[in-house]
Amino acid sequence: MTPKELLFATLEHKPTPRPAWVPFAGAHAARLLGYTATEFLQNEDKMVRCLLEVHRMFKPDGECCIFDLQVEAEILGCDLAWADNGPPSVASHPLACDEDDEPIVPCVCTIPGPSDGRIPLICGAMRRVKEAIGDTTGLYGLITGPFTLASHLRGSDLFMDMFDREEYVHSLLDYCTQVACKMAEYYVDAGMDVIAVVDPLISQISTSAFETFMADPFSRLFARIRELGVYSSFFVCGDATRNIEAMCKTGCHAISVDENVDLKAAKAICDRYGVSIGGNIPLTTTMLHGTQQDNMKWVVDLLDSLEDHTGLVVAPGCDMPFETPFENTIGCSQAVLQTDQVREMVRDYTATEDTLDVELPDYEHLNKPLVEAFTLDPATCAACTYMVAATDEAKAAFGDRIDYRVYRYTIREDIARTKKMGVPNLPSLYINGKLAFQSIIPSREELEKAIEQYL
Amino acid sequence: MSILNDISDALQQGRVPKVKEFVQQALDEGIPASEILEQGLLSGMNTIGEKFKNNEVFVPEVLIAARAMNKGTEILRPHLVAAGVEDKGTVVIGTVKGDLHDIGKNLVRMMMEGKGLKVIDLGVDVPVERFLDAARENHAQIIACSALLTTTMGEMRNIVEAVEDSELKGKVRVMIGGAPITQAYCDQIGADCYTPDAASAADAALQLCTA
Repeated sequence: MTPKELLFATLEHKPTPRPAWVPFAGAHAARLLGYTATEFLQNEDKMVRCLLEVHRMFKPDGECCIFDLQVEAEILGCDLAWADNGPPSVASHPLACDEDDEPIVPCVCTIPGPSDGRIPLICGAMRRVKEAIGDTTGLYGLITGPFTLASHLRGSDLFMDMFDREEYVHSLLDYCTQVACKMAEYYVDAGMDVIAVVDPLISQISTSAFETFMADPFSRLFARIRELGVYSSFFVCGDATRNIEAMCKTGCHAISVDENVDLKAAKAICDRYGVSIGGNIPLTTTMLHGTQQDNMKWVVDLLDSLEDHTGLVVAPGCDMPFETPFENTIGCSQAVLQTDQVREMVRDYTATEDTLDVELPDYEHLNKPLVEAFTLDPATCAACTYMVAATDEAKAAFGDRIDYRVYRYTIREDIARTKKMGVPNLPSLYINGKLAFQSIIPSREELEKAIEQYL
Repeated sequence: MSILNDISDALQQGRVPKVKEFVQQALDEGIPASEILEQGLLSGMNTIGEKFKNNEVFVPEVLIAARAMNKGTEILRPHLVAAGVEDKGTVVIGTVKGDLHDIGKNLVRMMMEGKGLKVIDLGVDVPVERFLDAARENHAQIIACSALLTTTMGEMRNIVEAVEDSELKGKVRVMIGGAPITQAYCDQIGADCYTPDAASAADAALQLCTA
């Protein structure tokens, strides 16, 4: 079973050997190669390179191609404020008006065409990523949900319109649904396997408001996505617990939630409807500010808390923070792909505290440079494999002039050594006891240059 | 008094014409403006705040209730001024620099106003110095700042430090909130108060102002 087949089976709510893994590396993808979010979101080549790097580093079953809820809004006249370390924000609402004026619904002639705004750029990147990894990896195209798009256009007055101008809200949502259907068509044409309808605002309304305003547009949108022959996922942010059941009834294949939702309870509801559920690694406390250990433990604990993993996609709660340490995502990846092994690692990490004394080399008096690769497990962790491969190459180049060791977090002595050295993240590369490369795999040139300093 | 209950009920339903009508009627009946404010408008907004905290009502319901409160308060204002009724405290509020999200911040502002606090809203993308300047100008007891992004929450630390380094230290408290914010983060940056939702923020602000 390829990762893509595993993802598809998960989205069909069929039993799989393990849960699916979909890291939502949106703007964060840019950081993998040292670009700003703006550079990444405005340049096809950079998009492609970064998305392939996400694939290389995090071994996903499914991967998001661009997590930017402003693509449609930008075309429809919203001003955007761009940022180096996150997706742009909407800075103006073209349909906002004075309280006493009647707001308008845009003409259907304004619905974005395939060559408008950044659509050609994004579709171009999608096609190239599809060509490169699409045989084995499921690709997600993300579109802005009708409610969030309507709020981009109208501003927060939209909430009051739900009381003052019900018909207007229905009409505006209908327009936004038509936009969403078109975007889905473009992205499916560019090779996307899953259309994710991202609508964070759904958590901000009551179930009765959802049923009054959202049920019909979303049902039509998901029906259209099914007609296009691909899967769908309904992404929300915030505490959407009360709306999960109503969301299940819209005909989506999957729902994705953040840490505000009790995943176990939400999964029980989704299971009744045969809808898959994704989530919900905490973005800030765990992914951004936690350690690699915290991330591995969080995922293992999640998996252990659920009796049945059918229809489960392990994913961040939403778009990952730009500054998320790479090793934290690597830890999550490893915890999904090698759960038993990581469960042992997490347990041994606690158990080896002060019980196993390993001797560290006398780094001040080495005969020749000592290169040490600290890894989770080079056999299964992609980033670790690359780190070891880079070091192997260096070893081949330098021969007997350097010493070289690889440590595995699957071995208790190596865990003790990793802790005693104070290695912050895995994989990491040390030269003569000093941290040289942390999580980022050095190029051959970079590594050789670093080693030469010690020769 | 039934007319005050009527005001509260109409406010909770966001019915502006009814609120205006009942407030005028209460004034005509000779009920003091401060009593209409406290037991009619603020009481209704308080109930909405509690329901919001308990997930019984949501953003749209809060927005229309707050609008109704504002329309009612407009009628009362000249009477309140004439009677010398003072605000219970002053809060300067805004979304931090680099962040354009305003829905959460607006909800907090409305809830605070619903507690009888005077709120100076600086809008979004507010630099550190503007928070401090506004606090000075308005003799505020609280600077309340909002951030919705993991990339902008760091600005809150700058605000806390700027207050610490200024003559406002000890006089102005810093409250923080927004989706990525936690109590742990509040402790870490040394802010005075974190609350997880708008209604709790208003409760906490009132407490800080009247303590």
